[in-house]
Amino acid sequence: MSFRIGLSAVAIALGLVATPVAAQEKPSTLGLGIFTFTSGPAAAYGMPGKNAADLMLEEINAKGGIGGVPVSATYVDEAQGAQGVIAEYRRLAGEPKNQVMVAALSSANCLALAPIAEQLEVPTVGWNCDTHQLLLDGKSKYVFRPNGNTVPEFVAYAIYLLDRKPDVKTVAIINPDYAFGHDAATIFKAALKALKPDVEVVAELYPKLSSPNYQTEISRLATAHPDVVFSNLWGADLENFVRQATPRGLFTSSQVILALGETVLQRVPMPDGVIVGVLGDGWWMSPDAKENVETVKFAAAYKQRFGEYPVFPSIKMANTLIYVKAAYQAAMQKNGGKWPTRAEIADAMKSSNVATLTGTTQTRADNDGLVDQIVGVTMKSEGRSFPLISDMARYKGNSLMPQPGQDPIAWVSTLKPEFAKTLPKPGSYK
Amino acid sequence: MRIILAAAAVVMLAALAFAAPWLQFVLTLAIAKGFAALGVAVLLRAGLISIGHAMFFAASAYGAAFLARAGINDLGLLLILSVLVSALIGAIAGSFLVRYRAIFFAMLNLAVSMVFYALCAKLYGVTGGTDGLPVPIPAVFGIVFAEPVFKSILFYLSLTLMVLVGLAVHRYLDSPLGHALSAVHSNEIRLEYLGIPVWAVLLIAYTISAALAGLGGSIAGFAIGRVVPDFAFWTASGHLVLIAVLGGIGGVPGAFIGALFLELLHSAAVTVTDAWNMFVGITLIVVIMFMPQGIYGLFERKEAQSS
Repeated sequence: MSFRIGLSAVAIALGLVATPVAAQEKPSTLGLGIFTFTSGPAAAYGMPGKNAADLMLEEINAKGGIGGVPVSATYVDEAQGAQGVIAEYRRLAGEPKNQVMVAALSSANCLALAPIAEQLEVPTVGWNCDTHQLLLDGKSKYVFRPNGNTVPEFVAYAIYLLDRKPDVKTVAIINPDYAFGHDAATIFKAALKALKPDVEVVAELYPKLSSPNYQTEISRLATAHPDVVFSNLWGADLENFVRQATPRGLFTSSQVILALGETVLQRVPMPDGVIVGVLGDGWWMSPDAKENVETVKFAAAYKQRFGEYPVFPSIKMANTLIYVKAAYQAAMQKNGGKWPTRAEIADAMKSSNVATLTGTTQTRADNDGLVDQIVGVTMKSEGRSFPLISDMARYKGNSLMPQPGQDPIAWVSTLKPEFAKTLPKPGSYK
Repeated sequence: MRIILAAAAVVMLAALAFAAPWLQFVLTLAIAKGFAALGVAVLLRAGLISIGHAMFFAASAYGAAFLARAGINDLGLLLILSVLVSALIGAIAGSFLVRYRAIFFAMLNLAVSMVFYALCAKLYGVTGGTDGLPVPIPAVFGIVFAEPVFKSILFYLSLTLMVLVGLAVHRYLDSPLGHALSAVHSNEIRLEYLGIPVWAVLLIAYTISAALAGLGGSIAGFAIGRVVPDFAFWTASGHLVLIAVLGGIGGVPGAFIGALFLELLHSAAVTVTDAWNMFVGITLIVVIMFMPQGIYGLFERKEAQSS
């Protein structure tokens, strides 16, 4: 009896294994696995991404989906940690209808998923994944990142700062205590050292993630009295820091750089003249964005649905979905209108050049993306309750990126002040 | 009857992983956590709650990553050495931790494990900080397999180890050393009067439990392919205690039942709702309220009724 049950179990098992992985027939829906934080503190960054994905997919489906196939997304919460994220990735990848994964937000999760993506041969597009380590070996076939990475993102701030404040002598850094914060500090310091060797770093503070209280750090910063305070705090941490630092005069005594400042412009009062940016070109109010009808429509729809204008994580997500759609269109054009396989989609992403809501994203031979970097300063705006970014510079994506295969930090150290002079000046982008 | 049930469960696990390949990863991870929870359960027999066993789990996974970086590239060797690493750390930490009881023991374990966590997260140049370290795919007896094959080998190896190590721990708990643990719980002074050194009994138990957690950690490291400081975070330690209590500490299978239950529940909950944490929490409350002996307690009670 039990033997027979065992046999039938094996039979069922074989049946399940035999399902085809890549269907050439057009499916009834196209599944996407979208990985972001939908719970916990990092949801401050993850939810704008999810909201944008909801909206963007609606827009894509309203126009007939991708190649006539409606798109549906399965969201995976990255707050469950690498183990849960990997389990979900494997489960979703096992379903043939899920052809592409949009993963992930957290660099640690991206690094953990990358080898699995290569092994399972599933096109995986990092919608955030800032870490410059992700595509360092240049061997990725299925992992793509149509974003900038930490290197151009933070080098841009060093260049902008030295243009705006050429006589800077002392710098203090306050970054979150995990890889993103430490990487940003390393890159920013290396860039400053290369471009203006006499700059001195007088304090480096790494408060732990999700600290409610920054009074000690602010006191340290006040006593160090640096010309410049650099920070890549984000989410609720950044809001808390700005709220606590403003009354203590940090913004008047030092030039503050908030690398992810754009995400909180609509939420906390911020004084004028703070250097902020969007880690890429994803600002919904940039001159390029304002000229793009699609972007204006997207921002208005986003505001109407979610009560806030999109922040740059939203734009990053929307651009990533545009990137996926473009890859499908390219792949179908190439193979004569047939529904593409996963390999064909990955092939179409290779060396692609896609127009996004806010610019273009170019995929290099090592699958890393070239995206322009926008940096500016906050300025009060007539008729809006929150400050906008003015005096902007828009750096070309390829100008701030090391060549494929080059050690990024070593590349940053080779930068010359003459090189910085060739780049756009603050205020040139309008 | 009990042996047939256990054998059937193992066969079912083997078949389940075969039926749904994505489940294989979840099950490997569940077995890995089962080992660590078994370590916690061993100490629970003596009435000692350790809220720090994720340290040994992580230490062994980091050990595997470092040993692999140093050029050791054999699954068997890496498993043995990384378990030895965690056993060694267990013996060192245990030598002073087993002097304490109750809340002091729990809190000191927590403290030591959080120091370890902080070191893993802060020593950016050594441990890769929060981005962690890769655990590459090792060779198995000199043969390098493709990833899917290796993961299958790892799963069936874990399944085999679950049975073998499970039997060994069962024998240990049934030995005088094992029974002494319950005696520590009920009356420690009497044990000393019987001429049994409580300190040694507990140190042996602590080292064994650290080794078990280490075995789970290195399996998890190989399955995930990356080790991050979160492995050692106190919530991970709490998770292990939860698994042990949920499964029931009445017997060795309890830890594995608890781990499988919790991992599968988690996998099911995240597919349904964003509020998966609440889902898991409510189920835990229900189990704890209505099954104080854990899930394994149900089987034991039935057994007692039928015999």
